[in-house]
Amino acid sequence: MRLWKRAGAWFEATLGRSRMEREMDAELRFHLEARVADLVCGGMKREEAKRRAQMEFGSFERAKEECRAVRGVNFIDSLVQDVRYSLRMLRKSPGFTCVAVLTLALGIGANTVVFGVVNALLLRPLPVERPSELAFLENNHYGAGQSFPNYQDLRDRNRTFAGLAGYRASPMELEANAGAERIWGYLATGNYFAVLGVKATVGRFFEQSDDLHPGASPYAVLSYSAWLTRFAADPSIVGKTIRINRLPYTVLGVAPKDFHGTELLYWPEVWVPMMMEPQIERQNPWLDNRNTWNTWVIGRLQRNVSSRQAEADLNGIATELARRYPLEDEALHFKLAKPGLVGDLLGDPARAFSLGVLALGGLVLLAACTNLASLLMARATDRQRELAIRLAIGAGRGRVRRQILTETLVLSLAGGGAGFVLAECVSQALNRLRAPIDFPFQYSANPDWRVFLFALVVSIITGGLFGAAPAWRASTAKPDSVIKQAPGSCRGSHLALRDALVVVQVALCSVLVCACLLSLRGLRQSLKMNLGFEPQQVSVVAFELGLAGYSEEQGQAFQKRALQATEQLPGVRSASFSNSLPLSIDQSHTDMIVPADETEIPSNERVSVNAYQVSPQFFATMGTKLLAGRDFSWHDGAKAPQVAIVNVAFGKAVLHTDNPVGKRFRNGPGSPAVEVVGVVEDGKYESLTESRAPAVFWPILQQYNSTTTLEVRSARPATEMVGEMRRAISRLDPELPVYGAGSLGEMLGFAYFPTRAAAIALSAFGVLAIILAATGIHGLVAYTVSRRTHEIGIRMALGARHTQVLRLVLTRTAALLALGSVFGAILVVAMGRVMATIVYEVESRDPLVMIGVFLTMALLGLSASWSPARRATRVDPIVALRYE
Amino acid sequence: MDKQLELLQGTLDMLILKAISLGPLHGYGILLRIQQISKDRLEIQQGSLYPALYRLEDQGWIGSEWGESDNKRKAKYYHLTAAGKRRLQTEAEKWSRMAEVIEGILRARPEEV
Repeated sequence: MRLWKRAGAWFEATLGRSRMEREMDAELRFHLEARVADLVCGGMKREEAKRRAQMEFGSFERAKEECRAVRGVNFIDSLVQDVRYSLRMLRKSPGFTCVAVLTLALGIGANTVVFGVVNALLLRPLPVERPSELAFLENNHYGAGQSFPNYQDLRDRNRTFAGLAGYRASPMELEANAGAERIWGYLATGNYFAVLGVKATVGRFFEQSDDLHPGASPYAVLSYSAWLTRFAADPSIVGKTIRINRLPYTVLGVAPKDFHGTELLYWPEVWVPMMMEPQIERQNPWLDNRNTWNTWVIGRLQRNVSSRQAEADLNGIATELARRYPLEDEALHFKLAKPGLVGDLLGDPARAFSLGVLALGGLVLLAACTNLASLLMARATDRQRELAIRLAIGAGRGRVRRQILTETLVLSLAGGGAGFVLAECVSQALNRLRAPIDFPFQYSANPDWRVFLFALVVSIITGGLFGAAPAWRASTAKPDSVIKQAPGSCRGSHLALRDALVVVQVALCSVLVCACLLSLRGLRQSLKMNLGFEPQQVSVVAFELGLAGYSEEQGQAFQKRALQATEQLPGVRSASFSNSLPLSIDQSHTDMIVPADETEIPSNERVSVNAYQVSPQFFATMGTKLLAGRDFSWHDGAKAPQVAIVNVAFGKAVLHTDNPVGKRFRNGPGSPAVEVVGVVEDGKYESLTESRAPAVFWPILQQYNSTTTLEVRSARPATEMVGEMRRAISRLDPELPVYGAGSLGEMLGFAYFPTRAAAIALSAFGVLAIILAATGIHGLVAYTVSRRTHEIGIRMALGARHTQVLRLVLTRTAALLALGSVFGAILVVAMGRVMATIVYEVESRDPLVMIGVFLTMALLGLSASWSPARRATRVDPIVALRYE
Repeated sequence: MDKQLELLQGTLDMLILKAISLGPLHGYGILLRIQQISKDRLEIQQGSLYPALYRLEDQGWIGSEWGESDNKRKAKYYHLTAAGKRRLQTEAEKWSRMAEVIEGILRARPEEV
């Protein structure tokens, strides 16, 4: 009851505030007038009586304030008052306000962009039911992939999961309104949607019964965007037949708009039951193969089951599997990872990278804060008189403190708002960004409430950080001494505090400049690194013959004809084809390789080897150096003895020799011996950061692969070349979809993506830091000069020369700069580990970078203090002394 | 005139309640009545009178309405509520007990201890 009454009074007080104010005013005025009347009656003169009554009463405002406080409106009331007052003060100094808001907008904006990306990749859960219960399965053999029979065993025998679903991102050829196109889809087990708890927007999804017989469930589920763009949102799509890989499939339904599969970076356009795998990946059926680890597994934990319990459960099954299938499942071990980024495969580096960038972004924000704090300190000094007057006429110190904090909070919220808008624009641009690769690499960094909350919280913390010092200082001002002083003549210990702020700022700035230079150096190094091939002047197109229904013989014939057609194009120096290219997304491995004289794989010597199927002339076209032996020829066909070309690392790791030509090995125990006929230089196959990975190249004539990449080396521009290659292929088969067309340099975009992203992000941070430090130093010097104009005038009147004045002004700045840079260098060394996660293969103590940082800081200091220092030398003694 | 005594902390509320208990008064009237009863021996900060009135009203011990003063001016008159009456009684009892105890202590002579 009491609470209600209070709430009611509060509402009445808040809403009826103007009435209350009026009444309060009338009541106090009545008091005063009655008193005056009494005093006049007592024989006092009217003027005298008024003065006396006022004195007796004391501060009118203070009494009112206390009355309001009793009514509980004081807080809201004074907040509104403070905000109003703050806005007026900020309007009165537009220069300061602009600089402050802009600084904040840059600092908060940069962090919000980074956070937006982190949010999209790491924080935002999959749009499914209770996403926290989902876990992604990994094993110690192949990381993310499980064999399908193992998946079935796990699904049927576990006791800790409410459901385990398997899926695989797979290329498909989809015929839609606009003709056939190669797209990415998911093969998914029947329980996939049920385990995730996703409901169909239109129609229904496939279900458990679709998991029984291979090839018996020709159904498809469309993604919302595929339904929209490829089928014009046809409302009667359910039950219609579409063609995938030239076979008919019945559309069951359409997925919800915001559901893009279970991988953040692989957005499928269509889902097909896993049982259709033999039809979708025609040349390579693996549903019964315990040694093809192609299935990704996601599971929903039962309630009240921890992931540790689930792992123990799975590993119990693993022990049994290892006993029953020692060849494939020996020492098999499972662990659970966060779903969304192919488990820890992409997840781990992505997390390390984004946290590193976020940490550096925090430094930018800190630099912005110090900048503002020092701006505000200067301003507070200039406002000392105003504050002193407010204190003198009865404002409480707490109230003044709160007012200053309100002012900084208004500033930081304005800056945060501007930063959020800025971040929005950048995020929109990022969303439009598509990596130039054939890959459903899409992600949406649309800011959601988390990003908004982040910006808000950061703004408020920022306001608190840079507003605390000035607020505290202001509230300790002594009104009498300040008011007695002439304006502008006060000197205080605050200069020392400002100095410290500049040192912090310079230190932060040098860390960020260092990170920026390191990342640029890393980018440069990765660009001129030896990849094991020359990507310049190479153009590629790709097509998939298996999806198009070609048999092996037809496919081989087509590959040869396509190659001949391309070789005849004008300007072609050499041409070849292969199943894939190094550093593209599609990489194959084999780990069953044994020297020919051994019959079993020693389990501790399993080496994972990158494997490619290539045609003759592949190395010449790619610019890979053949170090010994010979290239494949057109005679290395099915009837010829089995041969292979390996790289140097393969020779060392598998055959234990530096000269493997003529040596023999087997591709798994029991398979025929293969002779090494050539050795090529080592290269980069999966990532730029790997070191000396072994690779084997099979003749594609002996190991057919329907996935075909056609490479051409030519001096003609890639766009021209690619167009001609496309036309040549469509003359041979007008229906065949061609994908992944472009220059090899463009294809490498994926491999270079992390390095480029780091360089872009860190350069942006570096530039921001330089801007912030420059304004900070400029502000300090300008302030010093303006404070000391009087002194400089006297010195010049006494005959000081320009150089002496300059020294007076700049010595301190230079000292601060040097101190800050040294602190920065120490910080950089201390942060070496963070740097290593974001910068490619660069030592953070790189002397060249260090020199670069010091030079940058020196230049920065010089240019930032140039104009105020010049002003100091131009001080006219007469004007300076007459001033005041 | 004797030197005025400063009001003891926390007694203003009680004095206000007592003043009003003798009949409704406006703020200035309360001030005058306390001074009159105390024969001008108490000094009351005029500025602190109104916050005290607002506080008492907020606690429901006094009520207020606008009326006309002796010289035909609009003024806000305060009156005691039932709760206020009870409050005054307990406050007054507490005060006299306290005064008694303190007086007893101050009058103590060595032989009584």
